Amino acid sequence: MIEFLSRRLAAALVTLALATIVVFAVVEVLPGDPALVMLGTDARPDTLAALRAKYGFDQPLLTRYLQWIGGLLTFQLGNSHAYGTSVAKLIGDRLVVTLPLAAMALGWATLVAIPLGVFAAWKHRRPGDWGVMGFTQIGISVPNFWFGIVLVLAFAVTWQWFPAGGFPGWQEPLKSVHALILPALSLSLGEIAILARVTRSAMLDTLREDYVRTARAKGASERVVLFRHALRNALIPVTTVAGLIAGFLVAGAVIIESVFRLPGVGQLVYDSINNRDLVVIKNVVILFTILVLIVNLLVDLAYALLDPRPRVTA
Amino acid sequence: MSAFLARASRHVGFQIGAVLLLLFVGTALVSVLWTPHPIDALNMRTKLMPSSAAYLLGTDHLGRDVLSRIMVGAQTSIAVGLIAVVIGLTIGVALGAWAAARGGWVDEALSRTSDLIFAFPAVLIAILITSVLGASAQNAILAIAIFNIPVFARVTRGAALAMWSRDFIRAATAMGQGPVGITLRHVLPNIASVLIVQATIQFAVAILAEAGLSYLGLGAQPPVPSWGRMLRDAQTYIFQAPELAVWPGLAIALAVLGLNMLGDGLRDLLDPRLRLLRVG
Repeated sequence: MIEFLSRRLAAALVTLALATIVVFAVVEVLPGDPALVMLGTDARPDTLAALRAKYGFDQPLLTRYLQWIGGLLTFQLGNSHAYGTSVAKLIGDRLVVTLPLAAMALGWATLVAIPLGVFAAWKHRRPGDWGVMGFTQIGISVPNFWFGIVLVLAFAVTWQWFPAGGFPGWQEPLKSVHALILPALSLSLGEIAILARVTRSAMLDTLREDYVRTARAKGASERVVLFRHALRNALIPVTTVAGLIAGFLVAGAVIIESVFRLPGVGQLVYDSINNRDLVVIKNVVILFTILVLIVNLLVDLAYALLDPRPRVTA
Repeated sequence: MSAFLARASRHVGFQIGAVLLLLFVGTALVSVLWTPHPIDALNMRTKLMPSSAAYLLGTDHLGRDVLSRIMVGAQTSIAVGLIAVVIGLTIGVALGAWAAARGGWVDEALSRTSDLIFAFPAVLIAILITSVLGASAQNAILAIAIFNIPVFARVTRGAALAMWSRDFIRAATAMGQGPVGITLRHVLPNIASVLIVQATIQFAVAILAEAGLSYLGLGAQPPVPSWGRMLRDAQTYIFQAPELAVWPGLAIALAVLGLNMLGDGLRDLLDPRLRLLRVG
């Protein structure tokens, strides 16, 4: 198992190294002159030169790349051009909104999707199954930001149960959780649909297994068969997909935070695009990639614990 | 073909999907020739009006007819989605077929590269590209197309590899046909169904992505109407004119739902064993 996990860790590090090259290429090489992107074409030559010197854009590409990597390793990410403050602090301040939002959405998605999937598999090819499948079809088709707007229309405009947007800050924990409920619900819609489908098909696979038939033959109750025998094994693919989804939740937060005007990392990305703050953008994208890779590694770990097979074969 | 139609006539999901797609494409086609009102006729006296006989879905904050703009918005969605999928399909299928035929380092390099692209969430790639190159419909297409390439490459590679181990392809190799000829004559025709189904699903994903990007202001720029952008504008007036935020979203949802149902239906009808890639 150690060998399996160290291999996955090595693969993740290679991916991360390649990702830094891609991001560096897109942000600093592709546009030609990054200073021109940040200041606009009508900037004065001396202002441009000053900015190039400030961010080291006048250095050779390799030096700039290595400096950035060195900065990433020591959390010295430099200062934001638009905010003038440290990028590391800027991102840290925003993560305290985005991470709880993504966690709430993932928790809610798991809580709803797994029972839905088990129910659909139990009612296979009967109205209950069709109902769940119809719901999931709608769930993957409705854009989550529109679902968010509809939730605002219903629960903030018509019935004023929740705020339409904004975030009070964690010094008011109850109000903050309250402000994250609608965003988390809208973020979770598509994930519920995908996770319920995966749970259903994994349950259908395990329900066909011999040990399930044996359990039934021994007179085990339907509940014991479904939850103790079938679900436990069906959870292996479900965990994998839940991990993949966690990565997409963080990215989906970019749009949802914009809908609800939450001061999270997504909003920071959005503002940085409008401010053409390349220093912030490249670091945030790498941070998201690291988060996705960490989640994938955790999934591999969970996988290895739940299922003994990859320890031998992978 | 008649057997396909006979099975299609019993598949309710496929039929609903086909009707929704016809409605979507039909709306776009009609809007080329005719809309109830000119789409960019500003009229501050008629701004934020509710539904009426003259303006079936009401008017927006600049007094423009919402129905007309939704109709023309269908053109934007189709153009962006279709071009992005065609680019992704062309490059992805070529790369995937090459990897399957050649094997070895080509296959390895391709698989690792697609793993790398999948490690980035699609929205982020799109945001990164549009933020550097500038917000426009073309750059949105480029961003969505780039994410489509590894999807088609992976599906093609998997399906083509399965073909290469079949006896009739071995026979063709034994008869001296080269890998390019075999790929074009035998492999691609036999994996066409999986590609058609995947293309339908990716079209749905691309429409969602376009809507998301233009909601963030990174897609088609005004005055071109796009559903995502309409939602962004509508949100500003959510307390004065709530129904403005309903119609464009409903249009996106129905178009995507239609394509998803059509894709799932096609899979059932063409080959129930197909496994689809669902990412995005």
